[in-house]
Amino acid sequence: MQGFTLFDFDPPGDTIALRADLRAWLSEHQPQGDVVRRANCWASFDPDFSTALGKAGYIGMTLPERYGGGGRHPLERYVVIEELLAAGAPVGAHWIADRQTGPLILRYGSEEQRELYLPGIARGELYACIGLSEPGAGSDLAAVRTSARETADGWRVNGQKIWTTGAHFSHVILALVRTEEGSERNAGLSQLLIDLDTPGITIRPIVDMAGNHDFNEIFFDDVLVPHSALVGERGQGWRQVTAELALERSGPERYLSSHALFAALIDAAGPDPDPALATLIGELTAEMWTLRQLSMSTAAKLAAGEDPMVEASMVKELGNAFEQDMPRRVQAIVDCGWDDESDLARLLRALLIASPSFSLRGGTREVIRGIIARGLGLR
Amino acid sequence: MSAVRDMLCDTARAVFAEAACEGLAPVEAAGFGLLLVPENEDGLGGDWGDLNAVLRLAGTLVPDLGVEELMLSGLPEASEAHRAAATVGLMAGAMGQALTLSIEHVNTRQQFGRPLGKFQAVQQSLAAMACEVAAVDAAAAAMAARLDATAFGAAASGFEIAAAKLRANRAAGVVTAVAHQVHGAIGFTREYELHRVTIPLMRWRSAHGNDAYWAGLLGRRVADMGARGLWESMTARAG
Repeated sequence: MQGFTLFDFDPPGDTIALRADLRAWLSEHQPQGDVVRRANCWASFDPDFSTALGKAGYIGMTLPERYGGGGRHPLERYVVIEELLAAGAPVGAHWIADRQTGPLILRYGSEEQRELYLPGIARGELYACIGLSEPGAGSDLAAVRTSARETADGWRVNGQKIWTTGAHFSHVILALVRTEEGSERNAGLSQLLIDLDTPGITIRPIVDMAGNHDFNEIFFDDVLVPHSALVGERGQGWRQVTAELALERSGPERYLSSHALFAALIDAAGPDPDPALATLIGELTAEMWTLRQLSMSTAAKLAAGEDPMVEASMVKELGNAFEQDMPRRVQAIVDCGWDDESDLARLLRALLIASPSFSLRGGTREVIRGIIARGLGLR
Repeated sequence: MSAVRDMLCDTARAVFAEAACEGLAPVEAAGFGLLLVPENEDGLGGDWGDLNAVLRLAGTLVPDLGVEELMLSGLPEASEAHRAAATVGLMAGAMGQALTLSIEHVNTRQQFGRPLGKFQAVQQSLAAMACEVAAVDAAAAAMAARLDATAFGAAASGFEIAAAKLRANRAAGVVTAVAHQVHGAIGFTREYELHRVTIPLMRWRSAHGNDAYWAGLLGRRVADMGARGLWESMTARAG
């Protein structure tokens, strides 16, 4: 078996200064909120913080300057993202627009769409959500049924999306819809960028088991959207979405969701931990360090213009297992009650409850392993 | 990989094929003991990345031969940590070979009227195994880069060696288990070649520091740094 080819993570420019500037900026601007808010912080919505971050130039970094972006290298953005996540910064409001929607509009969108949406994204003011899952299309994404029929006035959209994170605070949804009547599976799909205040759209909250309102269901009832809402090529939605998912699966968020807990564990252990705790910290360190290497290599491959579909899936699979197991392993060793009010206990409780979602969002473990198996030549 | 390293690997492949029958002599004759010796001392002037690539092949082709001792003899002073680092390269190779054999086996062996590899249960296990192999390769490469940045300094690369050996140790458990499981009874025979890599993997997990040794060492070191110190140290080293 040919080894995993490691791509050199070699961002241009002065990375050390980039980190130092961002750390200094964060120490001034990061809200000193509750420690639990710092865990899983890419689901933490704070539009004031997003606007300030955008003003400082840390959003839309890779977008060209003519659209309000920073014109920076993708690996410089990687450095910024991992610093934000390690600090537990509340990046949830602009997260999807910055990570996925912006780059996708730049790659596939029309000039009109770029001028209309990208500057707002880069300012940290325009938020987006992803319309993929439907009641009948979860892991089986090709079963999408929401339809868009082309009329003289524009597209008529009918159907329903579900598990849509952030729809309630987003301005636009990038929806995968069936534009070709009678088409099946992954043929005949297209992506539409739809303003969420368009008449006929209803958004309802779905409260998760932690009591949080992150995701929603969205109903499209004969919604009329302009012809110009089509992103990229009609009928090429599947290919575009697949490319988009590589961006979603390999970033540092895949191993830093539980970082606040790891940090609290290390600091609670103190400089002279008992052997069991030292062992756990050592194991978690080795896993995190390794994941970071895999993730950086995958980012470098993506930045080199290659398709890291399988590598990205490996990062997600290993990363999810790491951040999902961590709270369980901490619970097995650390002596604290479920209702304790220490930072460590509250983080542990929050992450034990949040962590089942880690291997569901962005593709379930089973789907991800299926993609890897295909890469191995088994499917 | 560089062209020079590609050539080095081609040579290593040929030499290890000979060595599989004749023992260590062809490896010595080919000058692999001089791999890490600087060029101005009449060595090959290779770096740890080169060593890692060659050891990966050794782990695949001649896991039992002990070529790592020969190659480490090129260091002025080979420590236990260097031996641990070398073992990571061997382990990466052996795990890659276990994965190759497993994929070949499930693609050819038919049961219930189709190849085993068409069953989702088998696919899911092999995907998990492939992730472990990739993790060890990534760890080995990053560790090698650190050793090269520190003139093979075992102490200066202590964090990376500990993390990489520990990660490889943990992967060895998953990889040997899945490889044998998907092979069924044939993989448990003397005749079939899977044991040529799985038994060395079992041995190497204990060699030059088992899980508890490296985890304890790394854990105490990280506890001493504190959480912020860990992040700053990790990000200062690479990227």
